[in-house]
Amino acid sequence: MKYIPPLNFSPVVSTDVSLYRSGYPMSLNYSFIKDQLHLKTIIYIGDKETPLEEYQSFLDRERIKYHHIFMDSSRDEGIQERMNQVLNLVLDVRNYPILVHSNKGKHRVGVVVGIIRKLLQGWTTAGIYQEYGLFSGGMKDGVDLEFITMFETNLKIPRDIIPGFARRCLYLNELEAEEGSGDESGSESILTAKQSL
Amino acid sequence: MTSNVTEYEGVPDDESYLTGEDVSMPEEEEEEEEEEDDDDDDDHIYINEETESGREKVLVSHAPQERIVPPLNFCPVERYLYRSGQPSPVNFPFLLNLNLKTIIWLSNEEPQDTLLEFCDSYRINLQFAAINPDAGEDDNPWDGLTEHSIINVLQTIVTQENYPLLVCCGMGRHRTGTVIGCLRRIMGWNLASVSEEYRRFTGSRGGRILVELLIEAFDTKLVKIDKNKAPSWLLTALE
Repeated sequence: MKYIPPLNFSPVVSTDVSLYRSGYPMSLNYSFIKDQLHLKTIIYIGDKETPLEEYQSFLDRERIKYHHIFMDSSRDEGIQERMNQVLNLVLDVRNYPILVHSNKGKHRVGVVVGIIRKLLQGWTTAGIYQEYGLFSGGMKDGVDLEFITMFETNLKIPRDIIPGFARRCLYLNELEAEEGSGDESGSESILTAKQSL
Repeated sequence: MTSNVTEYEGVPDDESYLTGEDVSMPEEEEEEEEEEDDDDDDDHIYINEETESGREKVLVSHAPQERIVPPLNFCPVERYLYRSGQPSPVNFPFLLNLNLKTIIWLSNEEPQDTLLEFCDSYRINLQFAAINPDAGEDDNPWDGLTEHSIINVLQTIVTQENYPLLVCCGMGRHRTGTVIGCLRRIMGWNLASVSEEYRRFTGSRGGRILVELLIEAFDTKLVKIDKNKAPSWLLTALE
């Protein structure tokens, strides 16, 4: 028995929850996805309105929740709202394990992963660009990278559904906000938090 | 709702990774423990659905000011298993975040002193895996790994008690790629997918055919897997 992961497959987060990325899963990948990933949710970021017939029946059979978030590229109108939808799914621990895929797993997934690395994990821009390049075969789309760099949002997420991998970063943000408001105990704890990093 | 949790049996409790005392300097342990208690409380609320309305919300808006820098070619491989190039001091805050127990260094040469000191102060096991232990004076940094050293490293990787674990070499390309490629073969991946993953990390000069041949020829039966001590994802792959 040989397992064939989808094109450009990789874990993105592999700690308390599992988040994976890939290109479009084909029928030869189904046994890998079924036996190895035990997915609860698939997020497709792309332009194909309806899933391939065999894909749809695979999703039904495995009872995987399928979310299609339309995206042509990071130049789309309404891209902000689409990214917010993705983040809302990724920020809910109940949706895991999750696979995020596009068609080739290069640019569109690269943008989503870049935003997760930045907002939820606090990676530097250089680290994000490097990872984007690994999966896009060295091609760096300037618009994508600029979009990731400039992306900000305004989501309010119940604390108790936030997956563990994002907590440290969001906690730091809260401390920074406290520090900004001149709360002294806040600035004290931000110092210790920074040291402990 | 609990399926997320039950799947990860055998992996140390995730909360200890998030806020664990190991990250903090000894004198800060008290503060960190308080934070850990908070997190535990959150989890209990999460199980009780009746409290869902009116629960506390967190604002997600922008990246924190203090950003962390992943090492070159960093990537997760499996649960609590990571790969990268040689970490330098700018990457240490990032590494602390991974709560590593073991770092496998694939080289005949010692890593930079800073990495040695870092591992020492945070009690991370640094495992040297000489790429060609028998060559003596004749070895070259560009030599491939010997079968002996590949098996040696994989024995560490198939043992859960060494996790969280980072496998690294100078650039995180060929030597790391060899080891991860052989691991993928143990996991039953088809060869084209193993090569695709290897080449992803090899940069503009592409993969070395020698490395791919080494991965293809590797006899996966030479790695002894103790089912009581192996990570759960590996057992799933071996079923």
